[in-house]
Amino acid sequence: MKLKIFFLLLCCTWLGAQAQSLTGNVLIKNGTVLTVTKGTLENTDVLVKDGKITQIGKNFVAPAGYKVIDASGMHVMPGIIDAHSHIALSVVNEATQPNTGQVFVGDALDPLDVSIYRALAGGCTTSHAMHGSANAIGGQCETIKHRYGTVDADALRMEGAPRTIKFALGENPTRVHGSGNGIVPRTRMGVEHVIRQSFAEGKEYMEKWDEYKAATKVKGFRGAPPVYDYRLETMADILRGNIIIHCHSYRADEIYMLLNVCKDFGVKKLVFQHVNEGFKVAPELAQFGAMASVFADWWAYKFEVYYSTAYNAAILHKNGVVTSINSDSEELIRHLYHEAAKTQKYGGLTDDEALAMITINPAKQLGIENRVGSIEVGKEADIAIFKGHPLSSYTIPMLTIVDGVVRFDREKDADDQRIYVDPKGNNDNATFHKYYHNHENCLEGAEQTMVKLFGFN
Amino acid sequence: MRKQYRLWQLMLLVCWCWATNLQAQDEVVLTPVTKTYAITNVNINQAPGKKIEMGTILIKDGVIKAVGKNITIPADAWVIKADSMQAYAGFIDGFSRTGVTKPKEEGRERQKDPGNPPPDKAGITPQNDVRAFINPADKAIEEWRNAGFTIAHVAPYGGMLPGQSALILLGGSGTDNMVLQSNAALYSELTPAERMYPNTIIGVMAKFRELYLQASITKNYEAVYASNRNGLERPQPDRVLQAFYPVIDKKQAVAFKAEKVLDVQRVINLQKDLGFNVTLVDVKEGWDVINKIKAANAKVFLSLDLPEKKKEEKKEDKKDDKKESKSDKPKTATEFEKEALDKRKEEFTNKYFGQASAFQKAGIAFAFSTNNAKAKDIPATLLNVIAAGLTEDQALAALTTTPAQLLGISDRVGTLEVGKMANIVISDKSYFNEKAKVRYVFVDGVLYKQEVKEEKKAENTGKKADASGRWSYTAETPQGANTGIISIKNDGGKMTGTLTSSMANRDYELQDIVLDGNKLSFFYTADFGGNSLKVEFNVALDATSFEGTMTAGRFGSFPVKGNKEP
Repeated sequence: MKLKIFFLLLCCTWLGAQAQSLTGNVLIKNGTVLTVTKGTLENTDVLVKDGKITQIGKNFVAPAGYKVIDASGMHVMPGIIDAHSHIALSVVNEATQPNTGQVFVGDALDPLDVSIYRALAGGCTTSHAMHGSANAIGGQCETIKHRYGTVDADALRMEGAPRTIKFALGENPTRVHGSGNGIVPRTRMGVEHVIRQSFAEGKEYMEKWDEYKAATKVKGFRGAPPVYDYRLETMADILRGNIIIHCHSYRADEIYMLLNVCKDFGVKKLVFQHVNEGFKVAPELAQFGAMASVFADWWAYKFEVYYSTAYNAAILHKNGVVTSINSDSEELIRHLYHEAAKTQKYGGLTDDEALAMITINPAKQLGIENRVGSIEVGKEADIAIFKGHPLSSYTIPMLTIVDGVVRFDREKDADDQRIYVDPKGNNDNATFHKYYHNHENCLEGAEQTMVKLFGFN
Repeated sequence: MRKQYRLWQLMLLVCWCWATNLQAQDEVVLTPVTKTYAITNVNINQAPGKKIEMGTILIKDGVIKAVGKNITIPADAWVIKADSMQAYAGFIDGFSRTGVTKPKEEGRERQKDPGNPPPDKAGITPQNDVRAFINPADKAIEEWRNAGFTIAHVAPYGGMLPGQSALILLGGSGTDNMVLQSNAALYSELTPAERMYPNTIIGVMAKFRELYLQASITKNYEAVYASNRNGLERPQPDRVLQAFYPVIDKKQAVAFKAEKVLDVQRVINLQKDLGFNVTLVDVKEGWDVINKIKAANAKVFLSLDLPEKKKEEKKEDKKDDKKESKSDKPKTATEFEKEALDKRKEEFTNKYFGQASAFQKAGIAFAFSTNNAKAKDIPATLLNVIAAGLTEDQALAALTTTPAQLLGISDRVGTLEVGKMANIVISDKSYFNEKAKVRYVFVDGVLYKQEVKEEKKAENTGKKADASGRWSYTAETPQGANTGIISIKNDGGKMTGTLTSSMANRDYELQDIVLDGNKLSFFYTADFGGNSLKVEFNVALDATSFEGTMTAGRFGSFPVKGNKEP
């Protein structure tokens, strides 16, 4: 009997270990290491223990049990980080009200989404899985690591990454709610109103609860609690500085508007997304300390996105704004290194500056720059290995490592990388891609909802 | 003249009496002459692995009075000579809608403020009681009873919080008589509301959390108020929140529908955050998250609504292969790819059937739920589950003792022991024999006898399916259920038809309607966001229902089911 229990325990620990094999031990030998923050190191080894970079140097000998990767003639760079994406999500938009701060896309993570593998195949190891832009205040987002191969949705979460929330200005929220449903916001003024009102209500709510909590500490207190409201809880958390705002925006006037609104409410953590007219307010953004995550050269897909330039990233960067280049697409996420290279053509950025746009800078925008975004001792071993310089048009991603575990290996790339298959489904799903640029993916789900909600075509 | 008139009157009266009498005979259930039964010479499967050969079961007033050999049969007993048949405890269905009426869908009026709809419009009706929706005359009750089921755990239809479930007997004179236990669980789904908040899974999760936390807070305050009302603001009872109170007190579990592997994880995350007792029902893809289920201490009911197995077609495939090899035609890359994809599909079909065995090996108590399954398919499905690794005794346990335990009724049902309720299934051969037929079912001591019908296979298969008529359909899309009516006319071989959809306010004309054997296909062109979208249907028909897929262009394929409208 005792023996049985022992075996059972043994099995349990073994299973537990299996489930948690999220970190690995690797020695990457003799590569050209693009640290991004500390220059380029030729013929250098990187030693990874338990998913962390423990040593960078030369002529290391792999301890027993370590996986050895020969990176001779290859470039070793930090895993690419995408500050704006919607992969690995079952749902993007809860488009039913102008403020849905209470919803959280982390509740709809989809570890089975093959887009994660495709992102890995482009060297991308971390992405910001965002709510869409249908609402002035959308849902809370989740920063995920591309640990493809697991069924465990929780394993995708980058534990400890700061909370973030999606805001949206301009045409999307006014179209969905104003034109679609005849409620505020119908105009850009309305969007400002929704945000100001939400902050004001959040402030009032926070004060009410703080007051109530203080009162309960007095002995014998028997009062009624305020009504619990999940949405206002979120607003209060933004005001407390616990959540970074990532705001979908295009026009300079509305970008400037949100800076002012945030100043009025003491909100400091602010990142603008898309920011196509960011170049017009770059000094103002820098002064505020707001950051910008932009497309390399994608615009004119609707009226508010016409006034754009491919120099946007370079101008923002040269003005001292922490700038990243994002995908907002399951296709672009596969070659963000190309997108970063465009800043060299348009703006003449250095290699390190260009690479920072897809590594350390997005890490800063997500509040994870102490953990990822560069190759430094102590950081998490999220590493992409390329044949050819990653900013070259001829580069080929070879291996992608997340927390020391090889998650993509070009040599072992199989035809069908799906984890789950629907026995009743259509075979087309296996080869089915949505590789088209239909507005932004930000509105994914929202337009269908609009059709359903309002018979809106 | 007058006399004649009287005569006519009299004749009419007689005729009328005679007619009503005939009708009445159909409807009146006669009280049985005795409530004592003796089932003799029967192989008694008392409990999984516990068998008495050629024994007797004595039933009186709905209770098993004696089980075993050499039992004296009372004079008033109705003797059932079940010579060498097999008796089992009545099966227990862990979750379904058997006997539950689906409320008619109201006209979908547009919500003025879709972000703040009234709870009942948004599918939030946890205060509803399934007893209000039970129809004792529902045909499904008889169908499931005929398959050996005597008890079902049933819940109302609805959105994310349809209401209170109940355990019902599949037989009885009326709803109250059928209900074994009311308020069995608070039944929940991750089903979004249509056209209003919560419109998505993230909305549903947020709403569930908010309601739960609100309920915890108001419940506490109600207790404070009840202890001394003097000087305190009156708490205002809210039926939605109050429905959560027994859950918060852990006097009641939340029965959550969790079909897919992601659903299971999402429900478990809610459970982890809020701490309620959870019962997972309708689980179809649980094999990879057994550890999570274990850690959550969840009770599990595995779905018996499993994908079709392609057994017979395989033989045909082999024949085809031979033909192909003769013609020496090299396979194209597309054919190789299709083969590989089909192989993966088959691999997953096998995983679905192997799920029960995986849970068994992991040592988790599980039973079955039959939601969306067809009663007539159950024996074959169980055989496939057994073929995938479960033993017959384990399957029997999952149908009897384990569900009784999980549902908290093992003091009354689940085995054929003295003192237990007389819920008994008797089949002519082992229930797990392909050719077995259920002959007698006792529910609460009431006998339901089954006529053995000789199957008219030839006729059934020889008949070509008929597509004409009105069919209601439901397609499960990521945006919720798309429902509507398909009307098909057959004018001398040429078929025409129309379709309505809950996602549009117009009728669509059907094109390319083809009926090949029982396979029906057609398509229509929907307008979607200003673009046209081809929506194809490929379904298999029988006389009263169909099942298949709806493919909506780039949005993918979705399962679709339908029923013939009378």
